[in-house]
Amino acid sequence: MIDLRTLSRRGFLNMSAAGAAALALPAGLFRAGTASAATLPAVAEEDAVIGFGHVGPITDEGWTWSHHQGLLAVKEAFPKLKKVIEVENVPYSADATRTYRQFVSEGANMIFDTSSTGDFLHEVVKRAPEVAFMECDGHQVMDNLGWYYLAHWYPTYVIGVAAGHLSKTGKLGYVASFPVASVFCSTNAFLMGARSVNPAATLQTIAINSWFDPQAATQAGTALIDNGCDFLFGIMDEAGYLQVAEQRGVWAAMWNTDIRRYGPNSYVSSVIIDFKKFYVDQVGKRLAGTWSPSETLLQMGSGVDRDVWGAKVPADVAKAADAVRDKIVGGWSPFTGEIKDSTGTVRIAKDQKMTDTELYTWDWSVEGVSGLTS
Amino acid sequence: MNDTTPSLPLPPGTPPLVQLKGIAKYFPGVIANHDVDLDVMPGEIHALLGENGAGKSTLMNILTGIYRPNAGEIIIDGYAKEFASPLDAIAAGIGMVHQHFKLVQAFTVAENIHLGWDKTPKRASAQKLEARTAELAAKFNLQVRPGARINELSTGEQQRVEILRVLAREARVLILDEPTAVLTPAEARELFKALREFRNRGNAVIFISHKLDEVLEISDRITILRGGRKIATEQAADCNPRSLAKQMVGRDIVLADMRQRPVGAAPISKDPVLRLDTVSALGETGLSALHGVTLDVFAGEIIGIAGVAGNGQRELSQVLTGIRAPSSGQILIDGKPVAHANAAEFVEMGIGHIPEDRLHSGLAPALSVTVNAVMREYKKPPVTTAGLYRPGAATTLAKDIAEVADVAVPDFGMPIRNLSGGNQQRLVARREMRIASKVLVAAYPSRGLDVGAINTMLKYIVELRDAGAGIVLISEELEELLNLSDRIAVLYEGKIMGVIDNDKVDIDEIGLLMGGRQQTKEVA
Amino acid sequence: MLSGLRLQRLPSAHPGIALGARVAAIFLALLLASIVLEISGAAPLELGIQVISATFGSTYGIEDLCLLLIPLLMTGLAVAVGQQIGAWNIGAEGQFYAGAFSATAIGLFVPGPEILILPLMFIAGAVGGMIWILVPTLARAYAGVNELITTLLLNFVAALMVYYVSTGPWRDRVGMSNSATPRVKAEIPEFWGLVHWGLPLGVLMAIGFALVLSYSKWGYEVRLSGSNPSAAKYAGIPVRRHIITVMLLSGMVAGIAGMFEIAGTVHRLQGGISNNFGYLGIMVAVLARNSCVGVIFSAALMALILNAGIILQTQGLTTSAVLAITGLILFLTAIGDELAHYRITRIKI
Repeated sequence: MIDLRTLSRRGFLNMSAAGAAALALPAGLFRAGTASAATLPAVAEEDAVIGFGHVGPITDEGWTWSHHQGLLAVKEAFPKLKKVIEVENVPYSADATRTYRQFVSEGANMIFDTSSTGDFLHEVVKRAPEVAFMECDGHQVMDNLGWYYLAHWYPTYVIGVAAGHLSKTGKLGYVASFPVASVFCSTNAFLMGARSVNPAATLQTIAINSWFDPQAATQAGTALIDNGCDFLFGIMDEAGYLQVAEQRGVWAAMWNTDIRRYGPNSYVSSVIIDFKKFYVDQVGKRLAGTWSPSETLLQMGSGVDRDVWGAKVPADVAKAADAVRDKIVGGWSPFTGEIKDSTGTVRIAKDQKMTDTELYTWDWSVEGVSGLTS
Repeated sequence: MNDTTPSLPLPPGTPPLVQLKGIAKYFPGVIANHDVDLDVMPGEIHALLGENGAGKSTLMNILTGIYRPNAGEIIIDGYAKEFASPLDAIAAGIGMVHQHFKLVQAFTVAENIHLGWDKTPKRASAQKLEARTAELAAKFNLQVRPGARINELSTGEQQRVEILRVLAREARVLILDEPTAVLTPAEARELFKALREFRNRGNAVIFISHKLDEVLEISDRITILRGGRKIATEQAADCNPRSLAKQMVGRDIVLADMRQRPVGAAPISKDPVLRLDTVSALGETGLSALHGVTLDVFAGEIIGIAGVAGNGQRELSQVLTGIRAPSSGQILIDGKPVAHANAAEFVEMGIGHIPEDRLHSGLAPALSVTVNAVMREYKKPPVTTAGLYRPGAATTLAKDIAEVADVAVPDFGMPIRNLSGGNQQRLVARREMRIASKVLVAAYPSRGLDVGAINTMLKYIVELRDAGAGIVLISEELEELLNLSDRIAVLYEGKIMGVIDNDKVDIDEIGLLMGGRQQTKEVA
Repeated sequence: MLSGLRLQRLPSAHPGIALGARVAAIFLALLLASIVLEISGAAPLELGIQVISATFGSTYGIEDLCLLLIPLLMTGLAVAVGQQIGAWNIGAEGQFYAGAFSATAIGLFVPGPEILILPLMFIAGAVGGMIWILVPTLARAYAGVNELITTLLLNFVAALMVYYVSTGPWRDRVGMSNSATPRVKAEIPEFWGLVHWGLPLGVLMAIGFALVLSYSKWGYEVRLSGSNPSAAKYAGIPVRRHIITVMLLSGMVAGIAGMFEIAGTVHRLQGGISNNFGYLGIMVAVLARNSCVGVIFSAALMALILNAGIILQTQGLTTSAVLAITGLILFLTAIGDELAHYRITRIKI
């Protein structure tokens, strides 16, 4: 059976028209406290119920595992919580509505949807005004709904810089899932990082229409290497193409967690994610009665980062890339014009800085990226 | 018959090969067997004779491990046995050839012989299996073609494969259920020869049949069942057809000329009510099955169709009833040509049809008695009024039909397959007679029925003839045809070989025509 | 043999025994599940009470149950309708997609007032389902091609087609969402809480089909054709025409299910829109023994089981444990149905 539910994994995908309106906020207002809604009353820790709904299994060593670590951190920080509900494999379907509705019936005071299920969640949000909802990769704010996500494009740029140094052929490969905003953003940031070192670098992408398909990822990795790529990146939940890279002796960078053991020689780094602090903070606010719906992009260094460099990455490359990282943490944005799209049209004028909104909703490829159609 | 070897002389104290003692089997509301004893000695052919529903099949299903008896015991070679499954029975040397062969059509003879047999060699090539099959065939003196596929074989050949399959598994008791029903006389003779040889090797045959003559011909002893109970076991030599028939049905049966019309019966019409004019038709496989058949059916007469089954009878009955369109030629009803063959319109015009295979084509076995009973009249009031099907009215009609057919139906909502074969056939016949105002095509109306039921069936047909319908009686029982028909047409390989007036009938002539010989002189 | 007890198979099961067997099967499945749960440290009784109170104790629970029931009822009915003519419509899943697809096309691209768009969407859903079963129908009617394979294969085509349009040409460009189309504005009105009019309509369709089959000349002919086509031909019934009509109706019902899922529950076309309802429909029809009215009850049972599964997950059971319990219930129900055909007799030896 073809299970297309996995399509929604991580829920990059689901936004509503209303969500777009919410996004039309000026850049810089992304930090907490934008909405004007009244706060919900405080809850005693021993009476509080917190719910987490995940897209995958918590054993996935990737996205869901990371959120589960956040849940564990919440439990540690608030040991007296009445109950923490956790459901894995919430599909992107009306079953998501049923699941979150059930959370509400269980008396949840705060619910995290770790992969935006969009309308399916919003149905519940509207009918449970006393419950605080946070949607990962959401785009809509309501009186009791906020969202959070990662500015993953910054560490990706840093890894791109390393790729620019490491690639001999200047041909980079990317194993993509779907032509969605985070993939556009990821491929673009990666190539822009590489081009800052080697302006002739190009990025070839293959979309395998899945977030988790080791066989397809392996095949895509092989094809990319056969085409001359000597650095593979991607947005997969498993180590398929890393193992190919290890066998074929090329470089590879990954996503979510440290999985260098699958390819110790090839491993360069990973876009590593960490929600622990954010979750503890949100739950604390909810208990104290100070929570209000917010829009949060976890920045590099506080929720998303590059992983410790791989064993075989030369020290000078690591140093060069880390210098760029420091610059970004210091406030510099690499996503500044002039930026052309893959047809050669100037999309971002010279010296114009892309806003976080633009980065978050990027839907075109920069010059040099091939294989993704918008 | 030249082979008149008596059963082997047995030393005293030889235990019966098969001994059934006090067998009882009850189904909900039915006593299928009650206190039945049966001894089958080595070296005998033992006939099991009885009407439909007398309990023959149940008894044999118990002996072959398909059913478990509610009471009684099975003793094989002097040892009490209990069969948990047919495999146990096979292991005990009991094999059965069913009326409907259980062969895989797409497999070869050799493959069918070796299917599900623990002695089949593990990785064997087709050649090896065929060689083994040829060896077995030689051993049991049964001619088969090991490499041929079952669907290429004639019925007689298929039956030989079935028998060989049973014998190969070292059966010492061979049970045959109505084996000659599907055979030509020549094939039947071959079968009898093989059975006698088998018997002469010290084995036993249990032979189930309705046909009194062949029972007398083949068997050494005869056991008669009636109503699930054993009536008697007799030496065949002491019996005659009349005495057997009497014991079987519990009353005297008159098989007599039924061509006499009572006073007031409708006369034979001048013009045919139904006429086939050089009609050809294709069979199920797309091959030509009828060739230029010209046939007149007059009202108030019975025209018999003689011939060995499989010579176009099925197609002929289908063409006559509008189920199958002719590939060429014309059908005329009351002199008017029929533009499009349509079974429903033929019914409207008063043409009824008792099909040869009632369970396959005349009934929907899984549906209720009511649904089946109203199959011919469901479109008309009172069953359907203004497009509304009225189950209540349908059941009323079904009750009427069942009453005329003298069939006791406990529940008209139950599937019709729960009724016995004879009752099903009576219901079908009565259902058809209600609408067959013009013509009734009756294909093998007595096949699979016991003597009593056959008599009823034939009386129905005569009744309808006297009411003025034309009857096409397709049968392979020559005696039945001679008793009833005014004229007899012989069908051979899709052609009418000749139409003979019953008064001028010459049985040898019919036999020759059935065998494909051209008519030598004008008889009709 | 030690025991004189024997099993005997009856041709048809007594309705009372069949019901009893089913209840016993469910009870046994729950008992087995409880034992496993108890061993693994959960409290089965509490969980059971939790499931029951969450399902029936709140409006939420009953609404959820009804929302699950609607598509299950319709896809189950689609399969059961096909079975009336002896056709196994394994393709309810694909027809569901096709119905959802066609209805969405109308909803997204045809302007007009809701009162006009909804009936149009309904027709589009029905026609979409029919188109999706058209080729298997004609292949079955004219060439005798087994519909099992053809309908099954078309499921994948439909799923991929819906996936393609919802992530490609029809994707929500306004909100940058890629996995679903924009929201379809026309919505089936709610008739009780969140439950839309699909529920009464589905029940009416099931009853309607049952009535037509039992109380019309057409229904008689269909029943006969489905039970024994050669007997139907013998009776002069146009079997081929009935195969075509009934299979198209089967596809239509599944298509309507897809339309209601779009216009009543989900409101956006997306890859997972079918939620396996088409395949579950096969199970619903089998449990109902292909009775159109029975489908209402077996769909309710299935909805209850699926809903209980969701509740159990929030109680900390893993998805696989919940799937195992669900499977156990269905499996034992099937065995119970079969066992209802047997009775135990005592024989003397």
